[in-house]
Amino acid sequence: MVSTNRLVKWTSTASAIVLAASALAGCGSKETGGASGSGTSPNPSDNAPLKITMMADLHTPEVPSDEVLKALEEKTNAKFTVQWVPDGNYDEKFQAALATGSLPQVAWLKNAASVALVRSAIESGQFWEVGPYLKDYKNLSKLNGNTLNNTKINGKIYSLYQERDLARSGVIYRKDWADKLGIAEPKTTDDLYTMLKKFKEADLGGGGNTIGLADRNDLVYGSFKALSSWFGTPNNWGVENGKLVPDFMTKGYLDTMKFLKKLYSEGLINKDFPVTSKADQQNLMYTGKAGVYIGNMPDVKTMQEKTVKNVPGAQFDVTNTINGPDGKPGLWSLPGYGSLMLFPKSSVKTEADLKKLLAVFDKFFDPEVADLLKYGIEGKHYTKKDGKVVPDSDVKKLEKEATPYLGMALADTTNITPSFYTLPVMEKANTLVKAAEKFAIADPAAPLASKTAIEKGNRLQDIIKDGTYQFILGKIDEKGFQDVIKKWQDQGGAQIISEYNAEYAKGK
Amino acid sequence: MVKDKTAGSRLFDIFNYLLLLLVALVVFLPIMHVVMSSFATVEEMARKPFILIPETFTLVAYRYVLSTGAVFKALGVSAGITIVGTAVSMFTTSLMAYGLTRRDLDGRKVINFLIVFTMLFSGGLIPTFLVVKELGLINSYWALIIPNAVSAFNLVIMRSFFMNLPDGIEESARIDGCSDFGTLFRIVLPLSMAVIATISLFYAVYFWNSYQSAILYINDAEKWPLQVLLRQIVLVASGISADTANDFVQPPEQTVKMAVIVIATVPILLVYPFLQKYFAKGALVGSVKG
Amino acid sequence: MKTVTAANRIAQAPRTRSAWKRRVVRNRYMYLMILPGLIYFLVFKYLPMWGLIISFQDYVPFQGILHSPWVGFKQFNRLFTDPDFWGIFRNTLSLFLLNIVFYTPVPIVLAIMLNEVAHPFFKRIVQTIVYIPHFLSWVIVVSISFVMLTLDGGIVNEMLRYFGFGEINFLLDSAYSRPLYILQTIWREAGWGTIVYLAAIASIDPGLYEAARMDGAGRFRQIWHITFPAIRSVVIVLLILRIGSVMDHSFEHVFLLINSMNRQVMDIFDTYVFTAGVQQGQYSYTTAVGFFKSFIGLALVMLSNWLARRFGEEGVY
Repeated sequence: MVSTNRLVKWTSTASAIVLAASALAGCGSKETGGASGSGTSPNPSDNAPLKITMMADLHTPEVPSDEVLKALEEKTNAKFTVQWVPDGNYDEKFQAALATGSLPQVAWLKNAASVALVRSAIESGQFWEVGPYLKDYKNLSKLNGNTLNNTKINGKIYSLYQERDLARSGVIYRKDWADKLGIAEPKTTDDLYTMLKKFKEADLGGGGNTIGLADRNDLVYGSFKALSSWFGTPNNWGVENGKLVPDFMTKGYLDTMKFLKKLYSEGLINKDFPVTSKADQQNLMYTGKAGVYIGNMPDVKTMQEKTVKNVPGAQFDVTNTINGPDGKPGLWSLPGYGSLMLFPKSSVKTEADLKKLLAVFDKFFDPEVADLLKYGIEGKHYTKKDGKVVPDSDVKKLEKEATPYLGMALADTTNITPSFYTLPVMEKANTLVKAAEKFAIADPAAPLASKTAIEKGNRLQDIIKDGTYQFILGKIDEKGFQDVIKKWQDQGGAQIISEYNAEYAKGK
Repeated sequence: MVKDKTAGSRLFDIFNYLLLLLVALVVFLPIMHVVMSSFATVEEMARKPFILIPETFTLVAYRYVLSTGAVFKALGVSAGITIVGTAVSMFTTSLMAYGLTRRDLDGRKVINFLIVFTMLFSGGLIPTFLVVKELGLINSYWALIIPNAVSAFNLVIMRSFFMNLPDGIEESARIDGCSDFGTLFRIVLPLSMAVIATISLFYAVYFWNSYQSAILYINDAEKWPLQVLLRQIVLVASGISADTANDFVQPPEQTVKMAVIVIATVPILLVYPFLQKYFAKGALVGSVKG
Repeated sequence: MKTVTAANRIAQAPRTRSAWKRRVVRNRYMYLMILPGLIYFLVFKYLPMWGLIISFQDYVPFQGILHSPWVGFKQFNRLFTDPDFWGIFRNTLSLFLLNIVFYTPVPIVLAIMLNEVAHPFFKRIVQTIVYIPHFLSWVIVVSISFVMLTLDGGIVNEMLRYFGFGEINFLLDSAYSRPLYILQTIWREAGWGTIVYLAAIASIDPGLYEAARMDGAGRFRQIWHITFPAIRSVVIVLLILRIGSVMDHSFEHVFLLINSMNRQVMDIFDTYVFTAGVQQGQYSYTTAVGFFKSFIGLALVMLSNWLARRFGEEGVY
């Protein structure tokens, strides 16, 4: 890199001179004032606030005011320079900064899918391994072992994680319709089918166009994956006879496909669901055309509020406790983290610097700091009622001053004061999310790596995805789906299975 | 053309007008839907697939977007880089395009090929980033202009227009004692107003719509152009980020998305009518003869 | 003939060193004009081209190009041996040909039609309307199409059903994917595409039409013998440039249209490289696929430019 830089510098100097001489004179360089840079030099006195540069994901329209940040700095004795990056281009910016060595001291990695972008850099030792230090800190030592395990790369911990609930999927359905037709809360997939069928037959949406289930073009966050866990399918990878097997080779997956195929052929699901966007899917619910939605359960709040405006009297209920073939509930779970916080060695120079940073982020789990980042400032952004948080009703104000800081919070479940919900069904949804932790199905391959999966995983996944939709729509039969699996195996899938199993055996 | 009206000519006109009317209608209805949805209520938009005239007009969506304080600042940034960028680009491009029209210029073919070559091969995002970084342009407004100052496409078109100018113009200019610069600025450019207008429009739209450079080269959110901000609002509005584990922000309504499109498009649309007169038939020939 | 004077000048100048020097000195201002643009291309286009060599490496960001291992043609091998390679190649070419055949003539015809309009007001209105779609993103274009064509209450299918034609699954039947792609492209880009042609038409001498009418030429003959020849060189330049982008389709557009039912006919290099390379952080592979695409584009540009020059056109270089 050294001589390349020299070449670039030489040429750019030369060209800058020419530029100045040419008609473009005056377009010269301005000094960079970026948040990157390497100001990690230890502070002279230990009481002076620690200067921290950070790159964070912005989920709101605009960059927040700094009131919450000031409070944060006071509580953690640090001085933050935050470089906000728009959510839609976060990975792109991260890659450019990574490849050009301009990451700040603390860089958030967007989500689990983005791990692929840094794996090789991590393996070549570009980031600090934080695992060995965690035990020295009050809060970091108490991080969830399972989740930490899920963040591992080659068996080591390189990041702090942003807490997330494990399993939020569930069924949201029209309670008023169910009551009218005398249908009880579904407990099995058969109950669910009956509900969809009765909803359609009774045509409560009107016009003969009532749809049972509204689904969308997503096999993971749409209906499919949640449904599949109710048919006893493992989460991405299952263990059969001590060996890892991909979910689509299990009976549960096939049963899920058959279930959806039946829904499709009987018209109990929207016909264009393989190409329906989330917004269009939700519109089917908001306008009272469909009665059941399977997805993120806490969405029930928005759904209730919006549907009532179109369909007065609409009422929703939720459940996630659907018993599988073995008579017990089960629900696929996420790895338990959202974004990951990484510490590049290019900007965090020494171990001492790293320890100072970790000491600051340890405080992110202190109850008052955790609440500050999640809700904002008490009295200004929220009030308390019965020991629970009631957020200010001015959403736009929150969005401008408080909500964006959620993107740099670590705590989301630990040491957080719970929210107060005026809507009982929302309270229920949250209780169910917590309850689901007990029957959540983890992905046993989450901490494992396969070279072939890194190289070809996404393309191979598309083969299965296409086969699944084609089966549901009746383009291929069971035999055809076996061919799809065969194709997956031949193009690299067989290797993925053996690579994961080799790693899995090592880990046991 | 208006004077002689043979039957065939009249028939031609009837077909031509009807066909154009049909084309305009096909294009217009969806646009109308986008514009009108931005004034509709959220409920109506959910209920109706196609809105041509909303039942109730509301400015809620616009209020939402415009209450984002940064919008006006970003609008200024965008206007600034569009104006300065177009000026810089037009200056560089027209000079180069004219320079390359001289047929006995040694190296002309090589340079022409080198230009076309850059339309096909590119070193990619990261090496370009390094060049911009080494030039010290990171976080400067110039980073939004200089790395995209000349478009090979625009240059090739402009050169081709210059080469199509009537012959003898250059010769007579030379006889009148014009230098090469004089010929370009006093004769060639005034005769090429149509292509100048076209390429200026292309550059202006490019700079107005560009957001990737801003994402990559601008770290300071204060300096974001309008497109970055509006895209951010639209992405939040479509709830795209909500499929990840980070779905803690409640997306604003679909109507907001439409309002954003209107706000992002109207300013640059206003440029067009000013350029249109240069597209009138025979607009330039008069000046050639005069 | 415009080439005569230049040709004479070249013929008069003997090809000796001093003649070359004299020519360069005479053209010194032309070189000066070219210089700023040339520097731009060298600094911002050619300087970064060293980035292309990572297609012969297993590039690891941070280690940089000099320290990443060399792997020769491994990345290219991976591309050519991918079982999907020929399918993607075929799809990319098909979309390209559809574009050339169905899209290319539309802006030209539209520009000529607009030019034939005598009423300035009508002309301006239509001109303004047709160029607006260019400002709507593909996301919007695709989602409006969805809303209109969906089986779940879309206007088009409601109408088909009403008139007793039964419904057509435009969105999930792969037979409709490519026509939909082309129609959307025409809808969004054709009006915008007319601008260059209108500029070319603007410089035609009205006296030519006058003379043609004297000779009793009808409207079609005027178009064929005056308008079309006048814009021919622009048409050819744009066509060559378009041919060069044979492997590049609007990624965003295709990506939004592709689904599990039509991947067989819609999967192109850009969508392939996105899932296989970009998403997985495989810089070297991504670059290698880009390299291959550019190479094909270059070959076609050189071929079409050579053909254009053989037919007496200027071409693009």
